[in-house]
Parts: sequence; structure tokens; C-alpha cells
Amino acid sequence: MVLGVREIRCSGQPVLDSENREELMQVQPGIDIVLGNLPPESPGTLYITTKQVIWVSDVDKTGGYAVDFLSISLHAVSRDPEAYPVPCLYTQIDTEVADDDHSDSESNHIQQDLSNVTEMRLIPSDPSQLDTLFAIFCQCAELNPEPNDEEGEENDWVFSADQMVDEEAEDEGYISHNPANSIGHSNGNNDLARTILELQINDRRFEDAEEMEDNEDGTRH
Amino acid sequence: MLFFSYFKDLVGREVTVELKNDLAIRGTLHSVDQYLNIKLENTRVVDQDKYPHMLSVRNCFIRGSVVRYVQLPPEGVDIELLHDATRREARGG
Repeated sequence: MVLGVREIRCSGQPVLDSENREELMQVQPGIDIVLGNLPPESPGTLYITTKQVIWVSDVDKTGGYAVDFLSISLHAVSRDPEAYPVPCLYTQIDTEVADDDHSDSESNHIQQDLSNVTEMRLIPSDPSQLDTLFAIFCQCAELNPEPNDEEGEENDWVFSADQMVDEEAEDEGYISHNPANSIGHSNGNNDLARTILELQINDRRFEDAEEMEDNEDGTRH
Repeated sequence: MLFFSYFKDLVGREVTVELKNDLAIRGTLHSVDQYLNIKLENTRVVDQDKYPHMLSVRNCFIRGSVVRYVQLPPEGVDIELLHDATRREARGG
């Protein structure tokens, strides 16, 4: 999955990924877009689908921007002129800039500009459309929960009762379990117990070796 | 599901939602869904110097996966109830 805003090419209406059941939710003409601190681009048409938001320029009908709902961390209606001069739908975009590859973005200047974009404003020519836009964004966000939610829970610090039984069986003999404290028991403690055990083994080996040396010394003299 | 039902009981109260990007937003909890997406009303940013453009938005939808903490009003926390609920959840019931 590509996080953040990406540039798209299309001819007129964007092509939807119907194989993955992407459907058009709303078409909203007369929308200006502001990406980060870049100057506003206008006018354009907003296509809101069940998976993403696509803005297509009315001037150059073959180009625009798209962002997945998975990348939209937050959206809000901004009407305070101090926050932004015109009423708009404000969104925060989750990007992967902080984590990895700058080498990729350096080779492609368009990508580089957009990968830094963490904010997007959508300005409807008619401000009364803002509440509708906000509601549709809410609806679509709920259609797009994190894809790896189940996986994440398995690796989470919250253990199920079954997992705890297994762990206790594994650890038996190494550390004494107080059943009352088992909820807070995490992998970290196990690792610590193992480390201590390993240290003890090393110590014993070391002692043995010394003793052997001592003995050898003893016999020689 | 424990947190979902717990947050539902807090609807209408003032909470502070801290995001993973360090932005903290205070507002009235309007609603929460099963993914812990949070809708706030009458929001304001806690650190306004750092995020001046977020000064005041009337309503705000926050994606559950970007939430780091939710600070609850002390009077909205029923410790006994939470104790019981977490124990029951830990037993798998």
C-alpha cells in the first residue's frame, strides 16, 4: 500500500478498482485543492470512492491527485478565518517519509514533493457543501479499517487466556508464577529470565575451567 | 470490544486525544465506532503555538489507528467497573 498523496494520470473520470469492489460514493465539482504549503490548484472535481479520494483538475482533465482513506489520519471542517482564510475540509495525511527511502524520492521529483505532503485542504466553491463532505469522509473512513488489525492483535501485549497457559508451561521451573500477577506478565520478563539463566551457565563453566587450571597447577608443583 | 463500550459511555464528555504524530486535540466526544475512530466536537489544539492552523475546527474525525492516548475526565472513570471489565476480558469471558 502506498501511503500519502500520489499523482495520478487519467482521462476524465478516474478508473475504479472494481475487482476490489471500489465504488463511487460522491462526485463533487467545484473543489479547489491545497497540498501542504503548495499554492492552491483550481478548479477541479472531487471523486470520493469507497477506498480513496481523487481530485481531477478541470483545466488539465488528465491529471490530478489521489489519496487512500487509509492514509487520512484526521479530517475536520475548518471555518475559522484565522486557521485558514476560506472555509475548507482540512485533512492530515499519514506519509512514510520519516521511515524509509529518500533515495527513491530523489530520483523522482514529483514523488518527492508529494511524499512530504502531510496536509490537504479541500475548498468547495459553495461552503455549505462542507458538512456533507465531512459526513462522507467519516462514512468512508469507517469502510477502511487497518488491514492488519487482526495480525497486530496477535502480536500485541494483550494475551488471551490460552496463550498464558502455554507460556506458563514453557517457563515452568525457571520462574515461579504468581497467578495474581499473570495479567501484567509479558515477553520481556521471559527474556530476562533466559538471560539470567544463560549467565549462570556461563559462570559455572568459567568456574569449572578455573578449577581445572588450579588442579593442573597443583599437580605440576 | 472493552474499550469500544467504555468509550461509548464517555460520549458527551471532554476528552483529550493524543495522536501518534504528537498532536493533541481536546474536545467533546461526539461518537466512537468499533475501530475506535473518534469524532470530537468544539475542538481545540492543546499546543496551539505548534499547530496554529488547527486553532479551532468545529468538528473533527480522528482515525482510530493514529490515536496514541485518550485522556479521560477523572469523574468519567469508574475504576471498579473497569477493574471488573478487564478481569472478565482477561479470563476470555
